[in-house]
Amino acid sequence: MARDPKYDILFEPIQLGPKTMKNRFYQIPHCNGFGSEKPMSQAYFRAMKAEGGYGACCTEYCSIHPESDDTHRVSARLWDDDDIKNLGLMCEMLHEHGALAAAELWYGGPHAPCMESRAVPRAPSQIPSDFEHLTYPKEMDKDDIREVQGFYVEAAKRAREAGFDIVYVYGSHSYLPQQFLTPYYNKRTDEYGGSLENRARFWRETIEQVKDAVGDDCAIAVRMSTDMFMGEAGTQLERDCLPFVELVDDIVDVWDINVSGISEWGEDATPSRWYPSGRLLPWQKAVKDVSKKPVLGVGRFTNPDLMVEAINGGSLDIIATCRPSISDPFLPLKIDEGRLDDIRECIGCNICISRWEIGGPPLICTQNATAGEEYRRGWHPEKFDPATNADNDVLVVGAGPAGMECAMVLGKRGMRRVHLVEAADDMGGIMRWIPQLPGLGEWARVVNYRKIQIDKLKNVEFIPNTELDPEGVKSYGAEIVIIATGGYWSTDGLNGATHDTIPGADASKPNILTPEQIMRDGKEVPGNRVVIIDNDGYFMGVSLAEKLAMEGKQVTIMTHLGHHAPYMHFTLEAPNMHRRLHQLKVEMVTYQIPTQIGNGGLTSVHAYDEEHATEWEADAVVLVTQRRSNEALYRELKDKVGIDALQSEGITGFYRIGDCEAPRLVADCVFSGHRLAREIDSDDPETPLPFKRERAVIEREAVLTA
Amino acid sequence: MKVVVCVKQVAALGDEVEFTDDERDVDPDFLDYALNEWDTYATEEALRLTEASGGEVVVVSVGPEDVEDCMRRCLAMGADRGIRVESDEKLDPIQVARALVEVVQGESPDLVFTGVQSADAVQAATGTALAELLDLPRVAVVTKIELGDGKATVSRELEGGLVDIVEVDTPALLTIQTGINEPRYATLRAIKQAEEKEIDVRQPGDLGEPAYRVRKMFVPPKGEGAEMLNGSAADVAQRIKEIVEDKKT
Repeated sequence: MARDPKYDILFEPIQLGPKTMKNRFYQIPHCNGFGSEKPMSQAYFRAMKAEGGYGACCTEYCSIHPESDDTHRVSARLWDDDDIKNLGLMCEMLHEHGALAAAELWYGGPHAPCMESRAVPRAPSQIPSDFEHLTYPKEMDKDDIREVQGFYVEAAKRAREAGFDIVYVYGSHSYLPQQFLTPYYNKRTDEYGGSLENRARFWRETIEQVKDAVGDDCAIAVRMSTDMFMGEAGTQLERDCLPFVELVDDIVDVWDINVSGISEWGEDATPSRWYPSGRLLPWQKAVKDVSKKPVLGVGRFTNPDLMVEAINGGSLDIIATCRPSISDPFLPLKIDEGRLDDIRECIGCNICISRWEIGGPPLICTQNATAGEEYRRGWHPEKFDPATNADNDVLVVGAGPAGMECAMVLGKRGMRRVHLVEAADDMGGIMRWIPQLPGLGEWARVVNYRKIQIDKLKNVEFIPNTELDPEGVKSYGAEIVIIATGGYWSTDGLNGATHDTIPGADASKPNILTPEQIMRDGKEVPGNRVVIIDNDGYFMGVSLAEKLAMEGKQVTIMTHLGHHAPYMHFTLEAPNMHRRLHQLKVEMVTYQIPTQIGNGGLTSVHAYDEEHATEWEADAVVLVTQRRSNEALYRELKDKVGIDALQSEGITGFYRIGDCEAPRLVADCVFSGHRLAREIDSDDPETPLPFKRERAVIEREAVLTA
Repeated sequence: MKVVVCVKQVAALGDEVEFTDDERDVDPDFLDYALNEWDTYATEEALRLTEASGGEVVVVSVGPEDVEDCMRRCLAMGADRGIRVESDEKLDPIQVARALVEVVQGESPDLVFTGVQSADAVQAATGTALAELLDLPRVAVVTKIELGDGKATVSRELEGGLVDIVEVDTPALLTIQTGINEPRYATLRAIKQAEEKEIDVRQPGDLGEPAYRVRKMFVPPKGEGAEMLNGSAADVAQRIKEIVEDKKT
């Protein structure tokens, strides 16, 4: 298929300083958990986007010096020659695909707690970080300022040597240059503080010095937050940002435009729960209106029409993506080839970001099970080796995220016939009703994408309205049987806090309900006062609280933890969730352990004081205590029917995936189905194949004799 | 009781389209093939009737060996036998009816089903032509069948949700509308068993001259008419407002 001419602008090259970018698709700097110390994973991850058509790919934030050490979180590093070697591979692989490589040179100041280097960060003023509350910086004198500017210059030279085409002087998200610019961080009274010209001085000098050092060979990029939404104390668009742009526009080759600080950077990396695509466009346009240089920026762009509009409308010259590039590295190529319905759109769940926020793990993606696995498991999002046992028919029972993904990948691997059989009238499983919670509509893309792909696969047939019992599975005629029957919310209050049920918890009663009873089955929530018991830790409890409060109920949500929905801090959804629930007058109660549920309410005790009991009146109690596997079918087949009996029916492989094995994130359900399908022809598909680990391995003899 | 169901393998356009050298047809390389959607419903209806009162469902089609794939889908659903009339040519509905008539007559069916139309040629003529050649009464666009003694009470779908109820003597030919039932799915076992079944192949008799000839097939040229409105919902709404205001003046 051919490219639709209305998207031609996205494929026009553009000049960035001394470099030419071949199109308008730019993978913005973002974390992946690999840094400089997992160089193979780093290079393969970035190169996949270049293969997918991106004109430029960036490192994550790239530390210029051991004083900027973000351990436990993983940044890239350009501290020494070995880092040059490691990141050099990324540059080489990007160049092979005609993409530019960018290094986001970063100094964090007190936001980087230096837990590995044990160094002391420097900053304009000595105030502990609003992100890492225990970290104090050393207040910089003029010598410190010269020295740290020297760090940028040396790091830029290392970047050039590694092969980077673009080097950043990165300030967004409240890092050092932006700290100087912002009164919240900069209380100085010398020439580096006070007036806008003074506050801008550090950043301007650093850009000048970096440009002097490498500007003939590398494009100089500046990433800036236009507005921190903190009023006078924070960076403001009109007062600080636009004058700064005018001040340094001549020496900058490309602007990378953000909003927000670091403590609420969900205002920038917007979850779909709270913001649509393109949230930053007004700020990006404001910069573009005063700058003569190319402007790029993110906005969770998945729709090429919106991308074209952003460029034609004068808001951006280059479309940058982070999360949409994770969910589909081949977004540019698919637009180029007119294959729009093959685009696997980002759902804005921020699961990828949550891994960085947790600190340490590599990223994962709900939509793209291969994200992060390019090197570790050798998975390519668009290439699927034909299965060596393709001459088999497969029955997948259950068309939720795991079942859909598994059937799709098996189809792409050329299995002779795949039947995806589902009891309900359509695909989706749990993802049919979760996107109906407030704000989560874009999450339905998990289902939409797989529906379209499965529809295209001639060897995969979707069979709805069919609930198979053990006999039905046994006699279905498949050689490989995969059970993907999902999970359910506990109906008896079983929970991780007490490891016990809750006396009186029985969701068969009209006044006691579970999430799927409400969302999927339409069970009525009686009366007006609702108490939600939330031991889950992620969004289910608070989302239901929001929904029921929006319907006019008086809602109390109680948790055994000190914090509601703690995982939502990692997905950057928490601040607005709290604002929303506060606005809806939801009563949020912590440290409570329910001890008895009755007809008119429940009793709970304080988590740290069993003597301190509270009575709660409630017309309805919602149990969001824990999930269980729907493993009845699997258990009957394995334990009652037996593997031998299945084998005598010709069933040579019998597996289960997703929540019916163990409840998990949707991202992990998709991974579970994907992995089994990738490894369906291994010797023992049930056991995941070992993945590559990048680590130092000691040759004992060599060490002992050295 | 015996029901003969006449089925067709239909062509669907892929993402790209190229034409044959004579510009009278789509190049087969650019076509996907599948069982005509109406025929799934017809097969299901036949199975329901014979399951209720005992009997046999025979599936018949006209075409090259490829079309047996579609016939086997019907066999997998539960049809008992399949007969294919060999033909490599593109036939018009009346020629298809001529190809079918001997086979159908040879089965002495109680009912003959075809789909209302095929998804590719969309002529809606084969069933009626076949009824004429078989000298059978014909009811078209059937959405419900109730069997009686030597007759059937049949519902026909009309425009606007109206239903025409017709009593027809049997044997009769009915053209079956989609939605008459919920077609069953075939298990892998049934599909595998259908693979093993032998399909009876017959030669066509004289199919006569085609009733029409395709002169040219082409993609209609894109007109100037439409202005595409792109961008966010707010931008599009603004543009619509401007256009409406413009047109008013």
